[in-house]
Amino acid sequence: MNSFSIRTNDLKKSFGGTNALQNVSFDFSAGLLHGIIGSDGAGKTTAMRLLAGLLKPSAGAIHYYNNGVPAAFGELRPSLAYMPQQASLYPDLSIDEHLEFFRELYCLDPAFYARRSAELLEITRLGKFRERRAGQLSGGMYKKLGLMCALLQSPSVLLLDEPTNGVDPISRREFWEMLYDLAADKILIIISTAYMDEAERCSRVHLLDRGLLLGAGEPRAVLKENGAAKFEDIFIRQGAGK
Amino acid sequence: MKSFNIHRAYSIARKEVMHILRDPFTLSLALGLPVMLVTFFGYAIDFEVKDINLAVSDRDNGPSSRRLKEIFAASGYFRLVETGQAGPVEMLDSNRASAALFIEPDFSKKIKGGSRVMAQFVLDGSDNSKAAAVMGYLPGIRRAAQIRMAATPPRERLSAETRFLYNPELNSRWFTVPGLAAIIIGLLAILLTALTVAREWENGSMELLLSTPVRPFEIIAGKLAPYGILVLAGVSFVYLVSRLVFGVPFAGSHLLFLAACLLFITAALSQGLLISVLTRQQQVAMQFSMISGLLPSMLLSGFIFPVESMPAFFQYLTMLLPPRWFMAAARGITLKGADLGELAVPFLALGLLSAGMLALAIKKFKTDLE
Repeated sequence: MNSFSIRTNDLKKSFGGTNALQNVSFDFSAGLLHGIIGSDGAGKTTAMRLLAGLLKPSAGAIHYYNNGVPAAFGELRPSLAYMPQQASLYPDLSIDEHLEFFRELYCLDPAFYARRSAELLEITRLGKFRERRAGQLSGGMYKKLGLMCALLQSPSVLLLDEPTNGVDPISRREFWEMLYDLAADKILIIISTAYMDEAERCSRVHLLDRGLLLGAGEPRAVLKENGAAKFEDIFIRQGAGK
Repeated sequence: MKSFNIHRAYSIARKEVMHILRDPFTLSLALGLPVMLVTFFGYAIDFEVKDINLAVSDRDNGPSSRRLKEIFAASGYFRLVETGQAGPVEMLDSNRASAALFIEPDFSKKIKGGSRVMAQFVLDGSDNSKAAAVMGYLPGIRRAAQIRMAATPPRERLSAETRFLYNPELNSRWFTVPGLAAIIIGLLAILLTALTVAREWENGSMELLLSTPVRPFEIIAGKLAPYGILVLAGVSFVYLVSRLVFGVPFAGSHLLFLAACLLFITAALSQGLLISVLTRQQQVAMQFSMISGLLPSMLLSGFIFPVESMPAFFQYLTMLLPPRWFMAAARGITLKGADLGELAVPFLALGLLSAGMLALAIKKFKTDLE
């Protein structure tokens, strides 16, 4: 059983003159649901892309561990699933065709695929819409399809970049219920969100503000440490201080 | 992990086929362009000039002048028009005629007497390609006139006759197979590839793809293969219509022609890939493809304008363009039946350019994922 954890050391990424991330040291411990919390432009997507290996750090390093033992990114990569923030599915392909496509990309065994896809369609309640093209799905359904594609291979590491952005409150709630189910499997989940109320749903939070890490830890401990009642207060205070 | 997985490349290709089948633009362009081009070049565009309106001012009106007019009419290139009230020059001015023939008053008498006669031929030079073509017809007509009208046929001590090899009638349709193959490959392969990869970026799906175990090379192979086949089908269509409908001959080896097509297709697909990596937007990719795909194939390949008569700079420039070498190879194969040994230079150049373009595109694609 793989149990991955990720640590970053003074991670820095700049694009031209802008510093998207400045000396950020994350500690994503294994088997927990981590939330990267921050408003728009905080560097959440950059952090996600770095963790997914889609970007190379300008400075600093990302260390991957399997059961506490240092591991190469190549070892983690096959069981890593990433769901980008922006729309990234094919509008002209149906739900079934997406699942079939990702089955082939991950070279999944047919029996495993049959079981897994049935299970996912059940959880997401998208079974009725299997023939529907992604371009015709509602916002929430679209995100669920993205999640299904990511989950198809039963990943050990799941990176979700603002999966609930632009999703209605009911669908958001459903989405989180699905995440709790996944977290029960003790896989490493890292989710980014700009919704402060979602911070409390995570087992660990990492507060990101304009490329800087403001604080990290268990949600309540972080609030207490900062003497704040809500996460918004920490960010607002930070903004006023500057 | 590093190895190329044919199943993943296949799944990318299969998905691409679904996109093609569902996108009316791609499908109609891929199917419509070859049909349109063959129709245009087969029926409408004719580089030969025929049925030129010839205004005649016959001030002789004798047996010999009538014979001269018959010779012009019988050539098939000229249609004699009555000048009526207006003189031949007015006919030219008003575009009712493109050429005029003036016959002097004593034409028949002089011929009978065996003396030298003159007939003046005036040509509208405002359309120079037409004028040049008509000029080409004149020596033949003069020769025919000499033989048929002189009291005693001239005994030529030295005669020069021109005979065109490989395409004796200089039938412009015979150029369609190599020419249209170049345009179809040059335009379709570049444009469709550029669009499909740019769409993947625009769509955001490239990021998702790259986070899966699929390797960049598998994406490239999977995305390019369907378009390679589509373009090859377009070329086959042009070939079949030209052969069956227009009776265009094919002198050389089909296998060699296929090899030339495949090399050129590789270069074109790579060029499309490169464009899409550089632009990442369908709109821009389309404009780039049109310019860099269509212009060289049409104008700098030798399809319409001979490379040899271009200024030195352009002659060197065409050496860097795959369409030029493809055109040389394709013409050699289709019309002359040349073999690989005779076409070593075009094939070598085409092979090198294709390999270079592919390597550049793959390298750029890989480094650009950063």
